[in-house]
Amino acid sequence: MGENKSELGLLVYIIPFLAIVPVMHSQGWDSSESAILIVAVPFVTFPVILVAGQIYNGHETWKDKLKEGGILALGALGTSLMAAIWLVYDYFDSLPDFADQNSIAHWLEWVSFDLLQSDYTLTSSKNILGVGVWVDSLTLMLLFVATFLCFLICWFSLGYMNTDPINDDRNHRFYGEFVLFALGMFGMVLADNFLWLFIFWEIMGLCSYLLIGFYYWKESAAYAAKKAFLTTRVGDVFLMVGLFILYDIYGSLEFSVIFHDPSLQGTVDSAQLFWALLMMFIGAVGKSAQFPLHVWLPDAMEGPTPVSALIHAATMVNAGLYLVARMVPFVDVGHHGVPGLEDLGLIVAYVGGITAFMAAAIAFVQNDIKKVLAYSTMSQLAYIFTGLGSALWFYNHDEHHAAVVVFGASMFHLFNHAMAKGMLFMASGSVIHEVHHAHDHLHHDAGHHDFDPQDMRNMGGLASKMPVTATAMMVGSMSIIGIPLIGGFWSKEGIIAETWLAALDHEPLMIGPAILVLLTAGMTGFYMSRMWFMTFAGEPKSEVIDHVHEETPWIKQPLILLTAISAVGGMAFALLGATDYLSSSYGGSGHLRLHESTLLDSIIYKLEYAFLPENQDLRIVGWTTIFLSFIVGPIFAARVHGGQLAKGESATRAVSWLVSLSGKFGRQDVTSLSESDLAEALENRLYFDELYEGVLAKTVIPFSAFSAWFDRTVIDGVIKQIESNSVSGSLQVRSLTTGSARDYILMTAVGMLSIIVLVWGISS
Amino acid sequence: MMNDPLSVITLAPIAVGMALLILPKLTDSAEGLARASRAISMGVSLAMLAITTMVFLGEIGNIDWSDYGSGYSLTNDSFLLIPSIGVSWTVGIDALSFPMVWLTTLLIPISMLVEWDAKRGHLFHPLILIMEGALIGVFVSLDMFVFYVFWELTLVPMFFLIMVWGGEDRRYASLKFFIYTFTASVIMLIGILVMYLYTPDVASSGTITGHTFDLGVMVSSASGIPSEGLRHLVWIMLLIGFATKMPSVPVHTWLPDAHVQAPTAGSMLLAGVMLKMGAYGFLRIAVTALPESTIAFIPLLLFLGMVSLVYGAWVCMGQTNLKRMVAYSSVSHMGLIFLGIATMQPLGIAGALFMMFAHGIISPLLFAVAGAFKHHYHTLEIGSMRGIAHHSPWLAGHMMLGWMASLGLPLLAGFVAEVTILIAFWMTFGWLVLLPALTLIITAVYYLTSMQKTIFESDDPHHGILPESLHGEDPSDITWHENAGMLILGAFTVLFGILPFIFWDMMSDWSSGFMLEFLTQAMESEGVKP
Repeated sequence: MGENKSELGLLVYIIPFLAIVPVMHSQGWDSSESAILIVAVPFVTFPVILVAGQIYNGHETWKDKLKEGGILALGALGTSLMAAIWLVYDYFDSLPDFADQNSIAHWLEWVSFDLLQSDYTLTSSKNILGVGVWVDSLTLMLLFVATFLCFLICWFSLGYMNTDPINDDRNHRFYGEFVLFALGMFGMVLADNFLWLFIFWEIMGLCSYLLIGFYYWKESAAYAAKKAFLTTRVGDVFLMVGLFILYDIYGSLEFSVIFHDPSLQGTVDSAQLFWALLMMFIGAVGKSAQFPLHVWLPDAMEGPTPVSALIHAATMVNAGLYLVARMVPFVDVGHHGVPGLEDLGLIVAYVGGITAFMAAAIAFVQNDIKKVLAYSTMSQLAYIFTGLGSALWFYNHDEHHAAVVVFGASMFHLFNHAMAKGMLFMASGSVIHEVHHAHDHLHHDAGHHDFDPQDMRNMGGLASKMPVTATAMMVGSMSIIGIPLIGGFWSKEGIIAETWLAALDHEPLMIGPAILVLLTAGMTGFYMSRMWFMTFAGEPKSEVIDHVHEETPWIKQPLILLTAISAVGGMAFALLGATDYLSSSYGGSGHLRLHESTLLDSIIYKLEYAFLPENQDLRIVGWTTIFLSFIVGPIFAARVHGGQLAKGESATRAVSWLVSLSGKFGRQDVTSLSESDLAEALENRLYFDELYEGVLAKTVIPFSAFSAWFDRTVIDGVIKQIESNSVSGSLQVRSLTTGSARDYILMTAVGMLSIIVLVWGISS
Repeated sequence: MMNDPLSVITLAPIAVGMALLILPKLTDSAEGLARASRAISMGVSLAMLAITTMVFLGEIGNIDWSDYGSGYSLTNDSFLLIPSIGVSWTVGIDALSFPMVWLTTLLIPISMLVEWDAKRGHLFHPLILIMEGALIGVFVSLDMFVFYVFWELTLVPMFFLIMVWGGEDRRYASLKFFIYTFTASVIMLIGILVMYLYTPDVASSGTITGHTFDLGVMVSSASGIPSEGLRHLVWIMLLIGFATKMPSVPVHTWLPDAHVQAPTAGSMLLAGVMLKMGAYGFLRIAVTALPESTIAFIPLLLFLGMVSLVYGAWVCMGQTNLKRMVAYSSVSHMGLIFLGIATMQPLGIAGALFMMFAHGIISPLLFAVAGAFKHHYHTLEIGSMRGIAHHSPWLAGHMMLGWMASLGLPLLAGFVAEVTILIAFWMTFGWLVLLPALTLIITAVYYLTSMQKTIFESDDPHHGILPESLHGEDPSDITWHENAGMLILGAFTVLFGILPFIFWDMMSDWSSGFMLEFLTQAMESEGVKP
């Protein structure tokens, strides 16, 4: 613990960074001008970390004082966080007042150009593709989530990355790319047009690739990195095409131009717009790892755990959701939207529903703690997609009230999920790190290969060894499951209820996603509980567990902070009307404040509000959701994996009740079930990876080999044929080639000189 | 010198280069000159870079690039070189040629730097200097005869670079390179001569033939060629010359051989500038002189561009040699230039110009990386060396940046060109855009696969997998000068990716003016809608 204390002293080095924002403030800058700091400081810092790391590798100060760049990264992200909070603070409560001026700063005029019109004249003024800052409630929420989690996870990394000897002298690469990623995420959130949204989106993709491949020597990591980049690239290319169509329709990609009147006074061809939005949605599907482009996310867990926490759970994968959320103005028929796009909402909802169910099913059988979380991420993002799909559908039918509720609920779920999942990954990192450490301690160098510190079958009983982590993971899991009053409960109920509303009262086809998300709620209850019980409850399944201690510095603080946010943040924001606030850009009512006089009244009001009391059917849906996720799922998980701790071990009070509860439901043997074909198919991820790889191996690879052969043999062959016919001529020429450069050069010089002399002679 | 900077930057490198090659041979006492020739070459090339940069900044010639339409700047008082046939020394630049000139002066010192320790450096570096003059001459001369002389002159130093400093199969590659492109150029020359014969009679200026090679006159009088068939034929002959240089499928097969055998600096200049001569000449001569033929042949341009792009990418994927793959990627990217021109939108043409420039920065970086592999690992076989992130972190970094730039990652130079061309492409050709767009995925596949098998995957954090060509020895890390050259190229790739308007604005203005001046009328008469 002494080590811990002295390391926190290193925070003194980030003070210069943290002084930037106050100095700006005192110099009279306002928060919208200073928003550029959010992107600019990481932009300056990341090359410094990379280059300095390369030059000072192994240097004592660099290693111990600056944590191989980690402290610099923390400082830069701290600056971004401060600037972001400043912006959020300034705009928090004044949203309706600047509804017409979301575009608050202009950064860069990137390219400007003319277009030729059909009457063969140029457009009268230059078309400009530039970038600036766009602020509304979505931006503010995501900006806060991104800057806050980047900062915390960087903090966590100081412990996680720098204490692992395999990372020695490589961490600068981690921190440099981490900061570059942060730049991309912040930029994407702030950008005021679709093109720059895409540009920053790709920067994130690059960093995702680099960081998944951080352990570059591992074949699996290199492969996973490539797979992630290429799978998302497929989506990105479609997204690009979507942007081209969009540009063609509106002559601009700026939010302020497009959102002002997305129907162009009713002249927009809804079929063309539909294709544009659908193409963009494919991009979102790739980035957010939805069916059928979901295959990259589980493999992405090859990256270091902080990367999984940040990029593949809390921030980057939300980019697709953000993009779909930005599509609302196009379909919002109450506000200049284009009618006839309800199919888009259906498609989004179906993709979401299918992914949610599929990912949850696969999560049932995963034994790698990070893989469970990865599938859980996929499933939860799919919830949000389902919600957004319903919202798009409602907006397009001018069902304003329902649309606002489900849109707000979706965005609120994004917030809850990011906080909880970021923490869950960090907690899993803490587990992996300590188990790994204990294993190394126990078997000094041998046996690395037959022990997997991520495999939950090697764990169990950790509740007594890692109290902070166990508590964090418990609260995080509760938030994901949606245990009443905690975290995700407040947003998930809204999504499920409103999707059912759409299905029952309006569009029968919505019943598909509605049933799928309802079932998924119960399945989430099972697999999250299973993960917790397997890891923390019961008796240790490996001798290594006895040697685990929670001692690595820098890891506990972010966990504690996020535990608090997950535990009470959901309820607090829900009571303040977060769902209304988050949909305020698209017709919600705006302010964050309590609506009722007392806290209890507020809670009761909100509970009723979430379940839509005016419709009795939905009341049943709500209670069914709670029953499945709170009762059925966890109890079944407890019957399979729960159990008391070993004798003599005791957990802290925060989690001991759950451990002992988990042992009270008896035991159920699921061996036959786990050996069924279904389980095997799930373990093999329903064979999607094999399918894709098989198809590619049978088409792309042979065709490229054929192309290379064709080029060498046929196209160049023709040329070679011509050459060989003239070979007799060239043989004579060859007798002149002595192979000495001097001779050639002399010959050239003489030749050229004589030509020039000749020409002069003729002309004069 | 301040009056005529273009003549200086064209002739001075050639003069100095020739002197450095010949003087040490003529006098015994000039051994010191041979030893210093490397430094002198570098000094001269840096001076040229300084001049072109000052031209850009307006220090020389007071050109306001921010408001640049059409017409030439820095033109000299042209004087007759060969009065009898109407050849004159006339130079000038505009927004089409200037970025290429600046690019040339930038790449020359960098390629010298990368091969700072080349064997027989007293010959190597002066040859590159001669190359510089010849390349600049192509871009600045406003006389077709001189243009053609420079066009062919560029072959000479490149031929020797490949022949003397090339790889194992250098003799075949250099001859193929020379003969192939020379043959195509001769066909182009025939086209030029036909145009020459139809220039108006300017006998008063003292020519025997009664014609002139003046670019402006030739271009404006080409529409006077009486039969449409002959005009189309001339256009096709010009296209053959230019398309071979670019190169476009199916006349591209000289390129991979030349690249694989060429020394690093040769490859850098070949890909960086020489290929752009084709696109430059096409716009400057073929499109400008014969806009109606251009419009009539848009389907051909579209076809050539599309085949080069798509087919080139597939061939790339089938390569096992790193340098060959990079060479084919040039074929693929050059296809985008034809596509940009075929859109007949100022945006697309400006995108094509930016592609020329961006590829001119990125592809030298790619070849510098490939050259470093050859130099330090003695092989270019993809997959034979792995985990180089361990042995050469800098090289791995440069490779990553270059590869990413070439596959069109945003905020790097190539993306600007790609996205602008494709936006214009959608406007003109609609859903056909899916072909080039999906090719971007193929591009990503071959680049990422090649990185997976070089930077990554050594199976051991403390050792890479080394090729047999090293015979068990550890590879040396890249030298400071290789590193510096690649760093500079990487920095410019980032700079022009984030701030493309440095050159984009003038290109965009030029494209608009060019369209209005030469193309819109032809489009109207041919009935082609924008």
